Amino acid sequence: MADWKIKRQILQAASILLVLTGLLTAYIVYLSTWAADGLASNSLNMRRAAARADIWRGSILDAQGRVLAQNRPDGSRSYPMGAAMAAVTGYNGENIGSAGVEGHANRELLGLSDDLSHMGAVSQLFQSERGNDVKLTIEADAQQAAYDGLDGRKGAVVVLDADTGAILAMVSAPSYDPNNIEANWKELSQQADGALLNRAVQGMYPPGSTIKPMIADAALTEGITDEKEIFACNGVLDVGGGHSIRESHGEVHGKVDLRKALTESCNVTFGTLGMRLGDDKLKKSFERFGFDRGLGGEILMAKPHLPDFGKLGSGDQAQTAIGQSTLLVTPMHMALLAAAYANGGEMMKPYLVQQVITPGGMVIADTRPEKWLSVTTPSMAAKIDSYMEDVVTKGTGRAAQVSGVRVTGKTGTAENAAGEDHAWFIGSAELRNRRIAFAILVENGGGGGTQAAPIARKVILSLQN
Amino acid sequence: MKNWGLLTAPLGLVICGLSVLYLKMNPGGSKLTTDVLQGPLAYIPWLAGVIVLALFIQAVIIRRHEDTFLFPIVMMLASVGIVEIARLKPSLLVRQLQWLCVAMLVMLLVLRFWSRIRRMLSYPYLLGIVCVFLLGLPLLFGTEIGGSKNWLVLGPVSVQPSEFGKILLVFFLASYLSDHRRVLTLPSRRILFLRLPPIRFIAPLICIWGMAVLMFVVEKDLGSALLFFGMAVLMTYMATGSKSYAFLAMAFIGVAAAASYAAFGHVRVRFDIWLDPWQDPNGMAYQIVQSLFAFGTGGIWGTGFGYGHPGFIPEVHTDFIFAAIAEEMGLIATMMLIACYVLFFWRGIKASLGCQKEKEALLAAGCSSLLLLQAFIIIAGVTKFLPLTGITLPFISYGGSSLVSSFILLGLLVSLSKEQEHG
Repeated sequence: MADWKIKRQILQAASILLVLTGLLTAYIVYLSTWAADGLASNSLNMRRAAARADIWRGSILDAQGRVLAQNRPDGSRSYPMGAAMAAVTGYNGENIGSAGVEGHANRELLGLSDDLSHMGAVSQLFQSERGNDVKLTIEADAQQAAYDGLDGRKGAVVVLDADTGAILAMVSAPSYDPNNIEANWKELSQQADGALLNRAVQGMYPPGSTIKPMIADAALTEGITDEKEIFACNGVLDVGGGHSIRESHGEVHGKVDLRKALTESCNVTFGTLGMRLGDDKLKKSFERFGFDRGLGGEILMAKPHLPDFGKLGSGDQAQTAIGQSTLLVTPMHMALLAAAYANGGEMMKPYLVQQVITPGGMVIADTRPEKWLSVTTPSMAAKIDSYMEDVVTKGTGRAAQVSGVRVTGKTGTAENAAGEDHAWFIGSAELRNRRIAFAILVENGGGGGTQAAPIARKVILSLQN
Repeated sequence: MKNWGLLTAPLGLVICGLSVLYLKMNPGGSKLTTDVLQGPLAYIPWLAGVIVLALFIQAVIIRRHEDTFLFPIVMMLASVGIVEIARLKPSLLVRQLQWLCVAMLVMLLVLRFWSRIRRMLSYPYLLGIVCVFLLGLPLLFGTEIGGSKNWLVLGPVSVQPSEFGKILLVFFLASYLSDHRRVLTLPSRRILFLRLPPIRFIAPLICIWGMAVLMFVVEKDLGSALLFFGMAVLMTYMATGSKSYAFLAMAFIGVAAAASYAAFGHVRVRFDIWLDPWQDPNGMAYQIVQSLFAFGTGGIWGTGFGYGHPGFIPEVHTDFIFAAIAEEMGLIATMMLIACYVLFFWRGIKASLGCQKEKEALLAAGCSSLLLLQAFIIIAGVTKFLPLTGITLPFISYGGSSLVSSFILLGLLVSLSKEQEHG
């Protein structure tokens, strides 16, 4: 009977077909498991973006609940404070990506919980169609006052809550209007030092005399001077090798102690201290204050540029101690320095997002202040703080005075290669319910006492109530 | 075994799927646009028609003591198709339901007139000529739709003759091969290590292979070409058990593929896309790349029915419906579908083994292989396992010709499964 033969052949052919199907099945399993993550996150895969576009993006609010960014009914994004708040809110565009809070709080704004994308239909139970609101630490009034204070000049303003590190204002100028950034994107993105650079955290500047409180701290801590030593300032300091450091405007301070030297911003005294400290102690002090590192995460603060300690001549040591040489820092870091002296020597980690609030009004995340560094002792902090108070009451920072408020500060007028001096003012103010610290920089603005200190006054006034 | 219970699975699937879509697309019973599912009144009569027909067909099958598993498995696949089309192209849902009714009516005709249809097996050459004629029609009068010139436009309906040609092909092969089985296995001549009978006996086979290549090159219909060729090879092996034919076929297709790669631009494009779709992911390879993304995004569990974005894939409701299922329901669903096809295939082969007559055994094996092979080719195509081909996923994809021809095959298999009861 030939029948069994044909049936055997049918079975053989069927097996071949089944083996092929089995191979295909194995391949599909590979595609849906091992290869899945790579395919899902491929930059050409629009599905994640599309899934996010289906979600109603949450609003960004300031500390008082005022709206800084929200969706219009048509789904487009509006920024009521425009350019003044751009350094904080950043932007969010389909084709240009995102920056600022829009960027780093993206997951919260979209209400994306932990990665549930592989849980299938179950994940939809946890995904609402409305994202969360993000409440910031920003005080819109202070932000506006700082932006108006810069008045069209290039520069940056950072205002912190000295006790917590909460950022109350962060301004960078020139700025851009996030409301129509996509239309102007090409032009904006082509400027090297343009509006897209957040000068408050990424701009690098010589600190000038605003570094002097830290040098005074270093000199006292390292024991190379005491409060009683009298320095004789005749207007010029010979730093060896035929070079010398001069006082600005040819001033002569005469006999000064450390307190007076800081109040009058005496270059001769601090140049002398810099040379006495030498490379090792300077390096140690800068490291103590965190100048050897940047910050990551929410606040992307650039790492400062320190002079090449170990190879400095006495002239460079003196220049470093008055904030020149090759020392470059960000305004945010100077605000942290000021905050440390207002907060008993503790440097708090700066943060922007205070709360994440669900559409139902539930707070699902509340940021707790976190210490970044202990930079100096409470008694030393109190001492330097009182020196800095003198700067505002009787020294170079009198333009920052506000009646009824204890204000401390330090002015800076930093020479730089770009032209006119940068105007600096850092300090703190004791308001009714909190102590704030600030750093103000006006690029090529001129004298710190006349150009930067008045902006501090405006910010303090805006926060006084 | 009556297996009425098996029909509850597809019924439940359709009801759940359509309810989910209805609730999701009309939240709070608000506005209806053309893009969403039409009001239930538009499709419920047709759905009811499908359900009544399904119950009737199962009753007929039970009464005739034929295989009661085949039909419920197919209805499972068809219900997945209905739900997916409602999800992907709501405007085509009513059309699909109408076609399903037509297809089931045609299947009833096949069951009713089986005793006459089986007589066709006695006329192999007539079958062959009609088959060639059907496949040749689009060459002369064909219209190009979706990149393939394999459509005949007859007034309001477009028909794909190859969908019906493939059935005739299986008939022809079953009939011809069993008639000439002995001659074909007679080793009369040796060329190298191949044992081949006189050329006049294998001429019809070579004819079919050649036609497959012609279909690909002229009609740009790679899917059908592969299907025809694969069927010819599989069934020849089933009938003769000769590996020489399989080898000869592989050599033939290899030479033909190389020649058409060298000679025709569109062949080269297809092949290059398959080798490296990432060269041109937004151009020529857009479809396959999007399909791969759908598989990756879906992962094991899928994004959830109605929560994916299968709309990024062009032609998602026909050729790429499998990718849409993978995206929204994940590996779990794709495995279940493949399991359904394999189960169906297995029941078909079982029926074939139970057949008394050689011709009918071959016919049953051919019908079941045809459906599995078709599913294999298109699934392999959308996953880049093989070069992309344009054929439908049987019982699931949108398309009238495809549904009707698949149900004809189902009808044939069910009829052939009857013999088993006597044996």
